[in-house]
Amino acid sequence: MAVYKRSYRPYTGRLTPAWSRFFVLTRYAMRGMFKSKFLTAVFVLSFFSPLICALLIYLNHNPAILTMLHARHNEVVSVDGQFFLGFLGVQGGIAFFLTAFIGPNTIAPDLANGALPLYFCRPFSRAEYVLGKLCSLFYLLSFITWIPALVLFGIEANLSGAGWMWEHRSLAIGSLLSSWIYILMISFSAMALSAWVKWRIAAGALMLAAMFLLSGFGAAINAVLRSNIGFYISPGALITRVSSQLFGLDSPINVSAGSAWVALLVMCGICLALLAKKVRAFEVVR
Amino acid sequence: MRANDQVIFENVSKFYGDVLGVNRVSLSIPPGITSLVGPNGSGKTTLMNLMTGLIRPSRGAIRVLGIRTDNPEELFRYVGYCTQFDSFPKGFTGYQFVYSYLRLYGCAHGEAEDLTWKAIERVGLVEPARRKIAGYSKGMRQRIKLAQSICHGPSVLVLDEPLNGLDPLVRAETIALFRVLAEDGMHVIISSHILHEVDQISDQVILLSNGYVVAEGQIRGVRSEMQDHPMQILVRCNHPGRLAAKVFEQDSVVEAQIHKDGLGVLVKTRDPDKFYLLLNHIAQNGVTIESVAPADDDVNSVYEYLIGSEEAGR
Repeated sequence: MAVYKRSYRPYTGRLTPAWSRFFVLTRYAMRGMFKSKFLTAVFVLSFFSPLICALLIYLNHNPAILTMLHARHNEVVSVDGQFFLGFLGVQGGIAFFLTAFIGPNTIAPDLANGALPLYFCRPFSRAEYVLGKLCSLFYLLSFITWIPALVLFGIEANLSGAGWMWEHRSLAIGSLLSSWIYILMISFSAMALSAWVKWRIAAGALMLAAMFLLSGFGAAINAVLRSNIGFYISPGALITRVSSQLFGLDSPINVSAGSAWVALLVMCGICLALLAKKVRAFEVVR
Repeated sequence: MRANDQVIFENVSKFYGDVLGVNRVSLSIPPGITSLVGPNGSGKTTLMNLMTGLIRPSRGAIRVLGIRTDNPEELFRYVGYCTQFDSFPKGFTGYQFVYSYLRLYGCAHGEAEDLTWKAIERVGLVEPARRKIAGYSKGMRQRIKLAQSICHGPSVLVLDEPLNGLDPLVRAETIALFRVLAEDGMHVIISSHILHEVDQISDQVILLSNGYVVAEGQIRGVRSEMQDHPMQILVRCNHPGRLAAKVFEQDSVVEAQIHKDGLGVLVKTRDPDKFYLLLNHIAQNGVTIESVAPADDDVNSVYEYLIGSEEAGR
């Protein structure tokens, strides 16, 4: 059949900007996440700790209540680096638990269903795919970690005055940076596991096991070799070290902050390499 | 025909480590329906993945309507791909499936909605579009996949095994849809194992075996170039015995066999043109010829000659 006349007209309408297209994936992923009642319940519960902290900050600045409690200012709670480190420690635990629950569901279903060719036969790259999935975790975990931390910082600044805010700006920056590196690390780990372990429950269990086993293994290395190199394979220790540095606190983890940053970035890099190996538009059957 | 109207492979090879995908493929695919035919592992899906830019060639260059395949932003304005395997996000309706990929493609909400309904209408799934895909039959799943591949109005439509699982009625409707799209000037590139359907619907075929292109072009053209397999021609006539005796006098006739039903002769000849001239002569000498038809210039026979022997030898 010779085609002499093309009557077919492809779509030539307006398109959304290319840079924002990965948000489509984020929106769908988040919608999928919140279909789980368990996740929604844990997410709501994660606001319990910020509420308590906000209440404590309020009590700390309310002279009437302080008088009633026979306490002085800063005796109820001292809003400093230790306060934010502790707060982010609690919230980080919840975030990790949630990530172990939802993270394995990010990529595994697409791989199991062979959906990747469908994503990539659009003007849509592998990096955008990973970014879209990462953003869904990043948004969720942000609401648990650095956003409430900044809200608490804002409340304290509001009650203490602008001078306090400027003087303690390192607390806000520390909350932001330590949360970001933590979110990135656990999100990349969850996604890498999701890409390699298709069974959701196994991937979740593996994530929990990896965190605890690596910490245990690191401690064992430190004890046997009487050194500190075991900390470098313990994500928890590394996060604690960089957070302490960011909040200007002494840390029980005896490694330099710079090397802890490098070790965390290497861990993220390994997870990205694992993702790059799996997130492809085709599968080689040998 | 301009190069910008074609899908062009220039000496393309693809290796997955030490596994051969396709090797030294040079092709020009014009508009119309082109079928990729070959056994499992022959390189059909690799060729499709290459032309859709999902994988990069290890060697050579590919251009789809003049666009390089490593330029997805431009390429996928013109290319639609329907994969072989089902891949539906959990809990999606048919409508959501098509709509979500249009959003990913870059359409705003209103336009995505319009285009979704147009594509769904085209594949005849308007009524079940709001139902979950999990409840769809195999044929409905194939059609909704087809809808997502045509929804953005591509100029090149690449379909991996699109007729799998369709019942005869839906298959006929789907083939008719391919025809309409091809007649409008679209490149419809199909891989299929169902040879008699490939024969019916294809304007040209590409036969693949072990990663190599063993033949390409219009099926009758391919068949006529296969000199080592004499052409089989079935002649229906009133005196098969006399006809067989006459044709056998020709040097180019390799074999003449009375048909099983006794109403014709199956002739194998190396020179069909000479044979047709002879038939004219015989027809003027008392043998009434009812019909003359080539018996092995279909995809099935070509496939059998070119690939079947290799398959059997494995």
